[in-house]
Amino acid sequence: MLPASAASLAVLAVLLAWPVPALLARAGWTRRDPLVALVCWQAIGLAGGLSMIAALLVHGLAPWGHSLPEAAWALVTGHLAGDPVRGDHWVALILAVVLATELLGVLVLSGVRTARTRRRHRALLELVVQPSAELPDTRLLEHPAPVAFCIPGARPLLVLSSGMVAELDEAQLAAVVAHERAHLSEHHHLLLLPFVAWEAALPVLPAAARAHVAVRDLVEMRADDVALRSLADGTGGTAPRRTLAQAIVAAAEGTGGVAVPGGALAVAGSAVRARVVRLLEPPSPLPAAARWTALAAAGLLLALPTALLVLPAV
Amino acid sequence: MATLGELERALMERLWSAPEPVAATTLRDELAERDVALTTVHTVLTRLQHKGFVVHDEGRPRRFRPRASREDHAAELMHEVLGQSADRQAVLARFVGSVNPDEARLLRELLAAADDAAPR
Repeated sequence: MLPASAASLAVLAVLLAWPVPALLARAGWTRRDPLVALVCWQAIGLAGGLSMIAALLVHGLAPWGHSLPEAAWALVTGHLAGDPVRGDHWVALILAVVLATELLGVLVLSGVRTARTRRRHRALLELVVQPSAELPDTRLLEHPAPVAFCIPGARPLLVLSSGMVAELDEAQLAAVVAHERAHLSEHHHLLLLPFVAWEAALPVLPAAARAHVAVRDLVEMRADDVALRSLADGTGGTAPRRTLAQAIVAAAEGTGGVAVPGGALAVAGSAVRARVVRLLEPPSPLPAAARWTALAAAGLLLALPTALLVLPAV
Repeated sequence: MATLGELERALMERLWSAPEPVAATTLRDELAERDVALTTVHTVLTRLQHKGFVVHDEGRPRRFRPRASREDHAAELMHEVLGQSADRQAVLARFVGSVNPDEARLLRELLAAADDAAPR
């Protein structure tokens, strides 16, 4: 008999692998509060992986005991299983170990590979970028295309191209720098890491790719929000929203003309438009009740598989 | 006190603008205003070699030259950091991706419409 916990975990895993990410990716409220949406995505990712592994584990360990701690202890201490152990129990256990190893392994590998790429980028950049005289902690790169980016890490690098400096006025540049700084200060690269890794680990799962795109777009919106807040603090009267929108449009436009090796980035079109629309016609913020409901749902998503895993099976 | 990063940049500048390979002692002399010891020059050159930016010949004394011209370095940089082959995760924090001309026109129109709606 398949314990009901294993069955519920399997159902949860299926829900989190397909319908739930699909719904959240389509949801309109996420752009009203990117931070809460990002929390929800992290919960979905974590709970999805957890329930997949837990479903297999609970089923596989069922002959050894009625709860996971009890069964695991029995297995480790070499107690005999109470119920007969069939082939499907072993298969489930092996799959659980393989899946856990793959998900964690890919996460680590992805992190290591990215860190190496960043080191290489930083080395390439450090030879040619000059510290900016006007903007603190910002380096200038001699290049006609208007680009701005930052390389996260222990020693982050915030780079503006000379094309960007030429294209934008002072307030717009400040907005760009504030946006990049928001990425760095909130460690957005860490929020993205699991989704990059799991897209690589589970290429058959369309939701993994969808989740990655959604999180990437939300991270940009969040950085816009944080930038606006810091700009409003500093300059007060001017309209930071329009300034940031102008900077985005100028950067997006300029890149189309000058030969920046754009390639894969060209698909970013609709996401850029969404950002600009959001800045020009700000959606009303999420009501507090909705905010807390979403956060509670995210918490519940994590608590449910954990409880099913640890509590005695029914 | 110059940092290693600044020294790397200064040395590369010299190597890029030199018409032919340069010996470490020459580099030390050229950087005299920074008061850099010869061992420091060697340290920085070794770092640059490890990173693959500088190569040396087998002459005595060894003479150093950049592996790629300044222009090639810049092209390589743009390709690796922002290009199609770029690791998307590593440059996640690019401000705006490039958009096609149609999309750019659309963005312009959005901005113009907003300006009309709320003239300042």
